[in-house]
Amino acid sequence: MREARRVTRLLPPGAVTLVVGLVVWQVVSLFFLPVFLPGPEVLVERMVEIYRAPSAFGVVGVTLARILEGFALAMVVGTGLGLAMGLKRDVEIFFDSWIMVLLTFPAVCWAFLSVLWFGLSNAAPVLTIFLIVLPFVVMNIWEGTKAVEKGLVEMARVYKADRSLMLRKVLIPQLMPYIFSSLRIALSLSWKIALVAEAFGVASGVGQQITYWFQQTRVDMMLAWGVSFMIFMVLLDLLVFRVWARRSFAWRRQFAS
Amino acid sequence: MTQSNGGARPRLDRTAIAVENLTKLFPKPGRDGAFTVLEGISITVEEGAFVSIVGPSGCGKSTLLNVIAGIETSDGGSVRLAPRAARANAEPRIGYVFQSPRLLNWLTVEDNIRFVLEAQNVPRSSWPELVRRNLALVGLAGQERNYPLNLSGGMQQRVAIARALAIEPDILLMDEPFSHLDAITARKMRFDLMEILARAKPTILFVTHDLAEAVFLSDRIYMMTTRPARIFKRVSIDLPRPRQPEDDRIFELEKTLMRDFFSVVEAGA
Repeated sequence: MREARRVTRLLPPGAVTLVVGLVVWQVVSLFFLPVFLPGPEVLVERMVEIYRAPSAFGVVGVTLARILEGFALAMVVGTGLGLAMGLKRDVEIFFDSWIMVLLTFPAVCWAFLSVLWFGLSNAAPVLTIFLIVLPFVVMNIWEGTKAVEKGLVEMARVYKADRSLMLRKVLIPQLMPYIFSSLRIALSLSWKIALVAEAFGVASGVGQQITYWFQQTRVDMMLAWGVSFMIFMVLLDLLVFRVWARRSFAWRRQFAS
Repeated sequence: MTQSNGGARPRLDRTAIAVENLTKLFPKPGRDGAFTVLEGISITVEEGAFVSIVGPSGCGKSTLLNVIAGIETSDGGSVRLAPRAARANAEPRIGYVFQSPRLLNWLTVEDNIRFVLEAQNVPRSSWPELVRRNLALVGLAGQERNYPLNLSGGMQQRVAIARALAIEPDILLMDEPFSHLDAITARKMRFDLMEILARAKPTILFVTHDLAEAVFLSDRIYMMTTRPARIFKRVSIDLPRPRQPEDDRIFELEKTLMRDFFSVVEAGA
């Protein structure tokens, strides 16, 4: 009993779940053809196969560029709009219902509309990402501005801080937790939408690869592309956003104990 | 730059703050109409004077300070502020110490002071000296790089005072700055404030519900009733400085003023 406890303590939490999951997956896959349900081992083989060809990184790069464009656009416009809505009553009244419209409009429609309007260009997936991610960012930042401490804004006004100083030193720091959660939601949404948008209307990128292998009924290759891309995105989230977040909140962490 | 030659406060002749017949209404929550928060308030503060407004909690003292500071509007009457004689043609600089410190917790102590210097367009070249001098003045030399949340409540309020003094204010507004502190810390802070002000010499309008505090600190006291807030008494405190908080004359004055206050409240009830 004590031995077992020591073992679980040595492993990082979640490792047990992961191992059990992999074992179950491997066992189940033994009953099917690899092209229908590949086991983890086969999947790794396929991924190695894919990325042995340097052109694969080009494919990933194309998709990544689209994601970052749509994502960055949605973050910038969404943060600005969310801030304006939180701070100015008229802006809030004007955009309130439009954000609801964007939020509830079916994502598939955006994907089709973008293709019809922009054809098989880069703009179609970027626009799709932008339109779907935008309302989430706006809602989050808008919520954040409501939580801003009024006393600090008052203090800054007494000392005659101009708009830029107010934004940089008073408002944005208070919104950082909301900005970071928006970033992470936006990123995970963006990449999922990107693949769908690519599957619909462009002749390049990871989404197109997945469509191609779907047409060949090769589940192993579809999954190999999908899972490997997922790994890239998780790494991006871990390496960039978490590290950045930790830095930004250094002032707070010091007193967390 | 203020000269620190110590000694007596300047002669009280130039008017720094003139509030005349000020009225402020608040809308009634959920209904039409309004109720009067401030009614016909008139206050004069001479340059270099320390004047207190004493009244019960919630009587509208903070609202009055906010109107004077220009962050709330009034519904009648006027507020005129004048800079000190030395900078006669400039906009008057206003420092404000709130009930709670209201520091930017994500900035270091030093950066909190730089924040107001930047807001007031103080030339960058004078920042290091202003930060250093004013932190030393409130007894926080060496805390420049520390974050506010690492400091005690009293120390945070000292940072807020240093921040207000750093802009070399013509007028310093203080809204019950010691009411959140324990009695011992508050007593020490009042004592230190007198020391600090003997050197920095701004004009001060101080709001409090604590009569003893007002008597100890002030040259003059305005006493306020509540609902609506009205000034019912103006008292000059002619005790010599430096004062001791346990001085019997302070207790005597406090007792007399307290009696006055209750006779007015009971007459009104």
